[in-house]
Amino acid sequence: MLISMPDGSRRELSRAEARIEEILKELGINPEEVIVAKNGRIVPEDEAAGGSDQLKIVRFVHGG
Amino acid sequence: MRRREDRTSSRSCVLCTADEEDHSLVREAMLGDEKKGRYARQILLFGEGGQKKLKSTRVFIAGAGGLGSAIAFYMAAAGFGGIRIVDCDVVELSNLNRQILHAQADLGRAKALSAYDSLAGINPEIEVEAVVERISEENVDDLLQGCDMIMDGMDSFPSRYLLNRAALKRAIPLFHGAISGYQGQATTIIPGKTACLSCLFPRAPPPATAPAIGSTCGVIGSIEVTEAIKYVTGKGRLLKNRLLLWDGLEGCLEEVSYEPSPYCRECRGLGRDA
Repeated sequence: MLISMPDGSRRELSRAEARIEEILKELGINPEEVIVAKNGRIVPEDEAAGGSDQLKIVRFVHGG
Repeated sequence: MRRREDRTSSRSCVLCTADEEDHSLVREAMLGDEKKGRYARQILLFGEGGQKKLKSTRVFIAGAGGLGSAIAFYMAAAGFGGIRIVDCDVVELSNLNRQILHAQADLGRAKALSAYDSLAGINPEIEVEAVVERISEENVDDLLQGCDMIMDGMDSFPSRYLLNRAALKRAIPLFHGAISGYQGQATTIIPGKTACLSCLFPRAPPPATAPAIGSTCGVIGSIEVTEAIKYVTGKGRLLKNRLLLWDGLEGCLEEVSYEPSPYCRECRGLGRDA
């Protein structure tokens, strides 16, 4: 599973399928600060990911 | 007969004036040409019909800050016929790196009133309304009376959720944008046709002071305005169920798609089958 991190770096995670919320916690990312795209589509954090999935973790912004 | 060159106009022209009557005739002709010419370059994109549609559109700009400045300037310049800009704050020194509606001389003034002067100066042909109020659940319906769309210039998600609910209730589009430092995002919410803001962002991030630079506000504010122009004139492809992500440090734009959520507390996935 290839993961694009909020800082632009990429990580490869070899693990069994898991809920995105768990993956975020494993990566040390606060789920409240991000949205996650799985294979190009935003998904809820209770969605499962693994195998050849590509995740993009987006730290969404709120300023104006 | 006196001949002088008018160097103040964006066009170079030579005015020949004799007496007062001739002078006023010339001035009237100039104003007529200017009026026809103001939008000439964008009429090439969407025709006079498109320009008329902009003129008949009334917009609500929520906030006269960083995003609101870019949004308001470009909407006024483009000839949106009515602009209602709402902000409860006063201009502070730390605003001036990015809130280009306001100048040094406006320090301490209500931002909405400062915005009014700037926008009226940019385009005296449109109607500008400045409202010095904090947008709330209690007044948002009233503030939105007569408006056809909402432009997001807010700086917090609770405020944005409020705009989202109002957009859903009134079935008018919400053009969302947000920034932090070199990063920004934008998307277009059309009630009944797309996911709503709460589908995309089910919960607000923890509150924090976001770093801000003017150029990011310019990028994202401009994208919001471009979306609004496309919506009104019917041109191009809107950011429907697409979130545009700007990374100014990398100099790149990315896009991710999203869907209406049947569990959304606000729209229950209303736009799902659109």
